[in-house]
Amino acid sequence: MAREFPRLPEELPTSAVRYVGKEVRRVEDPALVSGSAPFIDNLQLPGMLHCAILRSPHAHARVLKVDASAAEALEGVVAVLTPDDVKRWANAHVTSPPGWGTHCIAIDKVIYVGEPVAAVAATSRHVAEDAIELIDVDYEVLPAVASAPAAIAPDAPVLFEEHGTNVIQKRVYTWGEVDRVFREADHVVTASFRWNRCGANPTETFGCVCQWDLTDNSLVCHGSYQVPGFWGLARSFSLNLPANKVKVVSHPMGGGFGGKGGARGTDIAALLSRKAGGLPVKYIEDRMECLLAGGSQSWDRRYEASLALKADGTITGFDVKLLDDQGATTETYGTISVAKPLAAFTGNYRIEAARYDTTLVVTNRAPVAPYRGYGPPPHFLVLENLVDMAARKLALDPADIRRRNYIRPEQFPYTIPSGNEYDSGDYEAVLDKVLKLADYAALRKEQAAARAEGRLVGISVVNTVEPGVFDWNAYATVGVQGVGVPEGARVSFDVLGNITIVVGFNLQGQGQFTVAAQVAADYFGVDITSVKVTTAATDATPPHFGQGGSRVGVAITGAVLGACQKLEADFKRVVGHIMGGLPPDAIELMDGRLRVKANPAMGMTVAEVAGTMLGRSDLLPPGMEPNPTATSVWTAPGRNMPDEEGRCRSYLTAATATHVVMVEVDRGTGHTSILKYFIVDDCGTRLNPASVEGQLQGAVAQGVGAALLEEYVYDDGANPLVTTFVDYLMPSIHEVPITRRDHIVTPSPVTPLGAKGCGEGAMHTTPAAITCAINDALAPLGIEMTETPATAQRVWMRLKEVGAAR
Amino acid sequence: MTTRQRTRVTVNGRVYEREVEPRVTLADFLRHDLHLGGTHVGCEHGICGVCTVLIDGLPARSCLTLAVQADGMEVTTIEGLRDPETGKLHPVQQAFVDAHGLQCGFCTPAFIMSTVELLRDNPDPDDEAIKEALGGNLCRCTGYETIIASVRLAARRLREQSGPA
Repeated sequence: MAREFPRLPEELPTSAVRYVGKEVRRVEDPALVSGSAPFIDNLQLPGMLHCAILRSPHAHARVLKVDASAAEALEGVVAVLTPDDVKRWANAHVTSPPGWGTHCIAIDKVIYVGEPVAAVAATSRHVAEDAIELIDVDYEVLPAVASAPAAIAPDAPVLFEEHGTNVIQKRVYTWGEVDRVFREADHVVTASFRWNRCGANPTETFGCVCQWDLTDNSLVCHGSYQVPGFWGLARSFSLNLPANKVKVVSHPMGGGFGGKGGARGTDIAALLSRKAGGLPVKYIEDRMECLLAGGSQSWDRRYEASLALKADGTITGFDVKLLDDQGATTETYGTISVAKPLAAFTGNYRIEAARYDTTLVVTNRAPVAPYRGYGPPPHFLVLENLVDMAARKLALDPADIRRRNYIRPEQFPYTIPSGNEYDSGDYEAVLDKVLKLADYAALRKEQAAARAEGRLVGISVVNTVEPGVFDWNAYATVGVQGVGVPEGARVSFDVLGNITIVVGFNLQGQGQFTVAAQVAADYFGVDITSVKVTTAATDATPPHFGQGGSRVGVAITGAVLGACQKLEADFKRVVGHIMGGLPPDAIELMDGRLRVKANPAMGMTVAEVAGTMLGRSDLLPPGMEPNPTATSVWTAPGRNMPDEEGRCRSYLTAATATHVVMVEVDRGTGHTSILKYFIVDDCGTRLNPASVEGQLQGAVAQGVGAALLEEYVYDDGANPLVTTFVDYLMPSIHEVPITRRDHIVTPSPVTPLGAKGCGEGAMHTTPAAITCAINDALAPLGIEMTETPATAQRVWMRLKEVGAAR
Repeated sequence: MTTRQRTRVTVNGRVYEREVEPRVTLADFLRHDLHLGGTHVGCEHGICGVCTVLIDGLPARSCLTLAVQADGMEVTTIEGLRDPETGKLHPVQQAFVDAHGLQCGFCTPAFIMSTVELLRDNPDPDDEAIKEALGGNLCRCTGYETIIASVRLAARRLREQSGPA
């Protein structure tokens, strides 16, 4: 049954909205600032053992022998997990497309440095680490595949011998008459781009405590799991358990930004618990493990791409060829990041035809995992840089070429060539506002003055669309099945009128518990302090997914509203009955009271109704259960099955932002300084404006890292050269610009309360905006940086090539 | 490796005396032996600053400090800031809540400890002084804007609290 939701906060049953859309102090925060939030490493269970993992030093090698006898003999060691155990007890990880996963511990050969080859459970982590040094492994080293081009070379060594090739998938999607628009174009702009690996790196690494119950063969996994039900289901496949025998307890997470939750770590801890007679086993990934082989490497891409344009700057075609290095396996769902750009392939523009030629390969690098934005950030770097290159070629201002190609407000809902439908937007209003905020004309004058002095100062005007509220159908092109992503909430009143909301996900930083509390508090006219939001384990929670795809803010709003509406319907029945047998529709909810429409002075508060339901069954309508509890599960309406070319209504909302950035490149060092940074965005209703602003500025920081600093470097033998924070450079307080921001609000017509997904936000735009600004700075020299990160060294080398370095 | 050393540390005003393996870090000692889980661990190699505590009043990486090195010293952790009787938050903690200076909260105890030390010596720091003091703490969520705002809010409230000089 389709529900009618309030489309705006003003439509909630309250005469004065107190919380939704207001800056609300987060309900999450008091525990977090006190250090009392139960992050996973704070959990200690009776008899708990500690796990350490022995990892491969080779990128590609046969495992000839694993001798764990010395480790087993060490005092304090309780269990050692070897390839033989894993062969007996576990399956290879399920992947999409299928068949590109391996076991949690290498069985016959290792295919990346850092792949687990054995693991120990001992009475302390120290003992466990001592023990793994005693495990003797014989390898026969094989030639390694160090990069994507090497993977498709004719004589390349093959990782998965059963496939006989390193190519996971090669497909070309064609939307519209691409060849014709390029043939008829007045201008074609073509460039190659290289996006090197960067990734999530939350300050808390992955951790879990797993306990195998040997009596009924069931498993409990406590841990930092972003999408608990999904991880549980995957464990049932990898560990041969019925899905309802895997219980996942999600703890608050110290950030995620992608696929928080380690498949291998969980499986290893679970099997060690099984081998240790059912004692709980804790595994806390350390930072070097995280950097080496955790879920923190993403987007290893090579692009060749072209734009077709008319003489007046109208863009008619976008042709993208992508060679994507997935690393050694696809077990961490990196393939999805290739599919997601379909949800916003042509960005903010009316482009009639597009092509996406994709080749996904495995190499002996670490597997790639999701990272904030999940695919579009590199894609938009390509699109936006091509638009700037076209502007330079046609001598157009970057703001003007964008303006003339925008999808116009009256064209929404707008279907892009790759099939998704954008719900709403006003891109020109966003552009005008940011140009004014930045005083763009003055910036250009400042730039001209700097250039006259020989300084390399550049300005960019870059916009992107953030696809919000993901749906599984968006990933059909890499083999993911399904339409709809259920997200549930259970809302219940206690006998004194306090409200508890049970959800299936835990804290990760975005403030979604606060959003749930805001919605329920306004709906029932109660103080937000009387609403408690809590996570239930997977065996007690409604269907859920959790964080991912800029989705939970909208989805949990829908779920909580749905449950509130069900409760309201029950409360009306109760009050109507008590007020002399009135029908439910003679009663209305307003400001926390169920009142008689014809005589509003007569009524009961929601607390009184809930108390009556639980404490005075004699007053209830016949047959009514004493249960002021309701569950509702939301999924995006109107989603459909993809066609042959992957086209479907996938991501529900289309938020947008335009960034104006001014940078200066130092001729002496190649260092890029961000001088000024302005943002105007539109993500519809801002449910908690403080959280929206936090997501924006936080994503700018990650974008700065991706654009300028962060890179996982490998050598020619696929050996990782980056394994600490000394060489993986995360932006500190000194590197991140404090942006000046404003926004407009175009409420989504298709979501509850009008909010659009906004959690990934500036990650879509900042890498493109910074590189475009650098390229504007370098334009007088006739050079461009088309490789990320644009580190000082890389830029300086380029300057040196053209004799422009000082 | 089993040699243990008697170590006496005062943590948040309370004296603890334990037999400690020399290789145990102060972070692990606080977290696992004393069950003070508010000091978190982010990199264990001294870069991220997530494990920052105050040792004899100065910020220190508890992941790079051995527990035995803290023998005879006074350690302050995030658990030591709240009023133990009423549970009322320390003004710096409250400022981080009010100015939205956190998202996931994992690095937050460390930022708060660094801020407490900064404001003790400099009650009215400008942005540069704040950046200098917090430059050794990484945050992956906020982009630092609201952290700077939190520090400024805390500074203002602490100045008001202590009254005119």
